[in-house]
Amino acid sequence: MDDVKQAAKSATAHERSTLDQVRQWFPVGLLLLLCLGFALTSDRFLTVNNGLIILQQSAVLLVAAVAMTFVIVSGSIDLSVGSVVALSALAAAALSPEMGVWAILPAVGIGVLCGLLNGLLFSYGKIPSFIVTLGTMVIFRGLVLLYTKGAPVSITDRDFLLVYTGRSLGIPNAVLIAIVATLIAAVIFNHTVFGREVRAIGGGERVALLSGIRVDRVKLWVFVLCGALCGLAGLLQSARTMAATAQLAQGLELDVIAAVVVGGTPLTGGIGRIRGTVLGVLIIAILSNGMNMTGVDPYLQNILKGLVLIVAVFLTIDRSKISIIK
Amino acid sequence: MLSARNISKSFGGSQALRGVSADFHEAEVVALVGENGAGKSTLLKVLSAVHPRSSGEATLDGASYTPRNQREAEAQGVALVFQELNVNRSLGIAENVMLGHLRDYRRFGLIDWKRLHADAQRILDRIGADFRATDDIHRLDLGRIKTIEVARALATNPRFVFFDESTAFLNHGEAQRLMSVIRELKAQGIGIAFVSHHMHEVFEISDRLIVLKDGALVGDWPTAEMTEERLAELMVGREMIGGLFPQRGGPSGGPVKVELRGVVTASGVGPVDLAVAAGEILGIGGLKGSGGESILSALAGAEAIDAGAMLLDGREYRPGHPAEALSARIAHLPGDRTGEGVITEFSVLENLTLAARPVKSAVLSDRRRMMALATEQIATLGIKTAGPEAAVGALSGGNMQKVVLGKCLATAPEVLLLNNPTRGVDIGAKAEIYRVIRKLASDGLAVVMVTEDLPELLGLSDRVMVTRKGRVAKVFGHGTEPNEEEVVKWMM
Repeated sequence: MDDVKQAAKSATAHERSTLDQVRQWFPVGLLLLLCLGFALTSDRFLTVNNGLIILQQSAVLLVAAVAMTFVIVSGSIDLSVGSVVALSALAAAALSPEMGVWAILPAVGIGVLCGLLNGLLFSYGKIPSFIVTLGTMVIFRGLVLLYTKGAPVSITDRDFLLVYTGRSLGIPNAVLIAIVATLIAAVIFNHTVFGREVRAIGGGERVALLSGIRVDRVKLWVFVLCGALCGLAGLLQSARTMAATAQLAQGLELDVIAAVVVGGTPLTGGIGRIRGTVLGVLIIAILSNGMNMTGVDPYLQNILKGLVLIVAVFLTIDRSKISIIK
Repeated sequence: MLSARNISKSFGGSQALRGVSADFHEAEVVALVGENGAGKSTLLKVLSAVHPRSSGEATLDGASYTPRNQREAEAQGVALVFQELNVNRSLGIAENVMLGHLRDYRRFGLIDWKRLHADAQRILDRIGADFRATDDIHRLDLGRIKTIEVARALATNPRFVFFDESTAFLNHGEAQRLMSVIRELKAQGIGIAFVSHHMHEVFEISDRLIVLKDGALVGDWPTAEMTEERLAELMVGREMIGGLFPQRGGPSGGPVKVELRGVVTASGVGPVDLAVAAGEILGIGGLKGSGGESILSALAGAEAIDAGAMLLDGREYRPGHPAEALSARIAHLPGDRTGEGVITEFSVLENLTLAARPVKSAVLSDRRRMMALATEQIATLGIKTAGPEAAVGALSGGNMQKVVLGKCLATAPEVLLLNNPTRGVDIGAKAEIYRVIRKLASDGLAVVMVTEDLPELLGLSDRVMVTRKGRVAKVFGHGTEPNEEEVVKWMM
């Protein structure tokens, strides 16, 4: 039987490699296509100022999507990212009067705790990550509601706002923070043993286990890392809105998953790139921004976003590697 | 009568059946016997049109018999019961029996449960089942579950029922139940052919024996005229391939490296006592599931032990995780290449260094060291790949297996655990793998190998141990050189 597969494989090897190339470059192509389209229809789109706005709008999404890339590549999912962002934003807002700039610490700390809880329940409690994070998504959001009673918690601390909403060399600090976080995450993903172990677990958990990888431990750390980055995203989000509200980042998890998948990382795990996720985030951000710039009916925008997601996955998914699609 | 003439079947380049002719009569039980890969299952699957035949002819009562798929074979009266369990336990018993015919039980678009249960019950009664079609399926043991599959075959109203190793996963009592069902079917005039590795079953219920070897027919004898010894000889009866296995040294004389004292594994295998010296290859033979794999898993830290002690270099050794086995310099080559051995989407380089995972500056992956390890293993094992960055999924079975072995060797082990090291590997790659293993042993590695491949067991091992039903059945000492018949006898 092996021989049959082998013959089939070599016959299509050439086709496959060209197809792989197309898949790899698809996010870049889509990004360029979107930019070209919007530039032609709106003269305000292709300006330095709008570019900075797009980056600023995508900073939160970028940090959270980079976090999600680790989770998805390890073969799991985290639906609680939006709620963790909201809870961390609340921590930052509530403690900003006392802590000022250092409100970053409770924000990230809350994120770590949330990730730790998710990771423990998933990895050691052996509950599927989809279920665990579906539950904690509601719980974390509930905690925000319980604390705020629906009223926004405003941020007025001057130092806090100066740092997190200010600019350095003309670039928003939030964007710089997001870029630094992404670079660090990329190093972890591509160059550390931990990064390899994450990919190995997503590629074949049994293989990873028998190769001596502490699968449970690595899975836990993946969720802690995801929580920490979402905590940072929460801080950036609170600074952008200058307040924490109960509805903050509601539904963010869907944009995050969409960005990761559009960037070419399949939900099946094992393969993926931080670079791809960056592109995916830009595609989603530019799509939103461009539609507003060109005056697309706001009531139509969600439909278009959904279509782009489905078409992108339809074109990039490598069906030969996935026998059952569910 | 169902007659097969000159049936051949090839899968890709490998020839599974070579011009086999055989007759099957009604009201007769035929046993197909032969080693793994002899073509027994393939013959049954070709005749029941699960696989299309490559060439040859078949007739049913003199008329041409050319079903294009299993459904057509069933319509002409030939049904197959698979080796694996094919009962869906989220459905009821009656639904499982009538699985292929549920559409016939529609009334106003809904299922007519009354009629379905009555018909299923009639079939169950016919084979003397001691449970009812309306019982809870979760209460049935494997033997009764298998009975459901027989009933499903009978729902097609067959004249011939083929059983492909249907007792492989059954315990003794469950297998006995299936045997009595077969007798019942024979009494009702149905022709039976079955594949079994259990000699006592073969002699207990068959009327005739068909012996296959390497895809070809050896012959056809009435069971009454056959003895167990003669049959084992006919099955095995091959000359040893001189060049395949490297020359053994004498007894290694090395110190005892690994020792098991009264070990009982979590899956209930044991008690096992064994000692392997540095420089020695211990081969463990036995039927699938007879215990060897569980012993390896315990040593590899992938399975806990319930009793006894394992010693490594004379010190207590109790790994709780495969990582602990690896840091004790024990490497494990698992039995399922693509499910346990390699990640097919990953490159050769990444797979070869998956267990070693070299580190620099505390956390960073050491690319240079990875490349060095991979290049070394590619050269030592002669892995044929476009390059270290090529995907493992594109390699042939033999080369993929070499990658799994290379992954073990990259950890610089002192003990090597091998589970069927050459399963599904072509003969050339086999010889190379044997050469490497023997070389490692003579360099002082202790090797424990579990294998279902008899020539491999006898040709490569310095000592042979045979397991049967979770127990050690026999240990052949140094220099005893058992022959295949002797080993097979202890397996059964």
